[in-house]
Amino acid sequence: MGKTLFEKIWESHIVIGKQNGPSLIYIDRHLIHEVTSPQAFDGLRMNKRKVRRPNLTIATMDHNVPTNDRSLPILDQTSAVQIQTLEKNCKDFGIKLFDINSPNQGIVHVIGPELGITLPGTTIVCGDSHTSTHGAFGALALGIGTSEVEHVLTSQTLWLEKPKSFEIRVEGKRKNPHAVTAKDIVLSIIKNIGTGGGTGTVVEYRGQGITDLSMEQRMTICNMSIESGARAGLIEPDETTFDYLRGRQYTPKNYESLVDYWKEYLKTDSDAKFEKQFTLNINDIAPQVSWGTNPGMTCDVTESIPSPDEFSKGDPNQKKGAEKALEYMDLEPGTPIMDIKIDRVFIGSCTNARLEDLIEASKVIKEQKISPNVRAMVVPGSQMVKKQAEELGLDKIFINANFEWRESGCSMCLGMNPDILSPGERCASTSNRNFEGRQGTGGRTHLVSPVMAAAAAIKGHFVDVRELGLS
Amino acid sequence: MKGNIIKYAQDNIDTDVIIPGQYLKIHDYAELATHAMEGLDPDFHSKVKEGDFILSGRNFGCGSSREHAPIALSHSGIKAILALSFARIFYRNAVDGAFLLPIEIDEDAYNGISEGDEIDITLSTNEIKNITKNQTYKMKPFSEIIGKIIAAGGIFKYKPDQD
Repeated sequence: MGKTLFEKIWESHIVIGKQNGPSLIYIDRHLIHEVTSPQAFDGLRMNKRKVRRPNLTIATMDHNVPTNDRSLPILDQTSAVQIQTLEKNCKDFGIKLFDINSPNQGIVHVIGPELGITLPGTTIVCGDSHTSTHGAFGALALGIGTSEVEHVLTSQTLWLEKPKSFEIRVEGKRKNPHAVTAKDIVLSIIKNIGTGGGTGTVVEYRGQGITDLSMEQRMTICNMSIESGARAGLIEPDETTFDYLRGRQYTPKNYESLVDYWKEYLKTDSDAKFEKQFTLNINDIAPQVSWGTNPGMTCDVTESIPSPDEFSKGDPNQKKGAEKALEYMDLEPGTPIMDIKIDRVFIGSCTNARLEDLIEASKVIKEQKISPNVRAMVVPGSQMVKKQAEELGLDKIFINANFEWRESGCSMCLGMNPDILSPGERCASTSNRNFEGRQGTGGRTHLVSPVMAAAAAIKGHFVDVRELGLS
Repeated sequence: MKGNIIKYAQDNIDTDVIIPGQYLKIHDYAELATHAMEGLDPDFHSKVKEGDFILSGRNFGCGSSREHAPIALSHSGIKAILALSFARIFYRNAVDGAFLLPIEIDEDAYNGISEGDEIDITLSTNEIKNITKNQTYKMKPFSEIIGKIIAAGGIFKYKPDQD
């Protein structure tokens, strides 16, 4: 029987282990940031251990960095300490760091790919659940906790149970891919399979709906794999992948010979079997808006808020969850999504803050201003994205519409820096999680695509972006 | 292992409510523990006692990979989480640092155990005894690798068999 892409990558990285049992897996790339690494370095020092492969370890600071003027000092002392700690740790252990003033600083899952550090067929880990993003390149990319960060720092390996394989086929063609985006595809998937639908699996996304996507769109899909509970999500690399990585700053010198190898080896065999399967047809899917407090609580922009009974389909815990979510979100069943008024807009995060996201969002503006009741910010995913966007004049388009144009970082995706919602504020956000308090205590998050976020900023409420004539 | 239950009869308790993002800058575990479950239950810190267990529904610990979540619970005194299912990163974080035991239970245990019940967990027989109600339930056995990591006391103490 043939093998899946995931099985091939897994088997080629086994250091110790049986084919189907727990295995010690070799890690090719380790990305670290300021929040989940300090205790790991403390552990190394305490046990007098070194970093085994500093040259395979890359660091940046993204989670708590302020996104205002970088020449100003960091006012939050605990953030400043965490940032200084990462600087010291990288210096002491010989790790390459893209610090706050580096032209390569940015969200770790944005800079890995754009620098050519993320490569097909590799194993990649990071102390961050959205590490699944890198799976868009046909890498096995896993989010890990701080103990595992320490384990990888000291041994370049991890003890892992082999996850099951899950095929998600995305078939068909969207009528207007500028209005119905990769974000809408992945939200539709999670809405269907649920927040636990992928638990214990590695998802391979396949089908024309996936191969049609650009690399940046594929990253949006793989990024949110974790929101269905999956360990990782990946996509078979193809010419789109190889073209994206060609000539980047850290792309290996023998790149073309690697491409030849990847083309031959990095594919799921035609007779391979997946342990789980789901198919989504995207011919007629609508733009998506989340209404609740997990990413599975999502509906079409043309629909109304479901009642807890409609949503739960008889499951008592789901019903209770929906009731609690509606209370937290201050929403009534039956309210049309397009009638929901918003206070804030956040275009950013490792899900949707790449150049293409900003280009698509900017097209919505058409010299309009944002609603006077809305405060909106654009936080580019990296300094490189920011620079490229400015070269295209996107900063002026956003600023003229009264958006704030900020420095790169995780920002309001997780409320660790000063960019947070006030209690009760309602936000159209291109990020990945609408959990209670995620964007600030009492804040209310609606997950949407960049074009929906931009349109909501202008109108002050959600709109059917298919009617905006986007191209 | 005996303890009393704090029950959250709901699914999808995420790591953002277990320890909200604004506290991830805290380096001191005792201080971190004072904010455990703050996003869901502001009374948690005042009611939790050393040795308590949490009981909850499906997909416990979903979301962020922050190991601060099991650390905050563990340093609040929680010794085990009993849940219908766990998100995988939380599950591994809980055992890797030997912070607490993630115990998968079935619907009988989930429905049968109430807030405040005294529970006795026996890992060698995979049994959960409800002392308060005089009922017994089965827990899902740990997988081979997880059982070994737990027995060793975390991944840094685990030594692989050379078989």
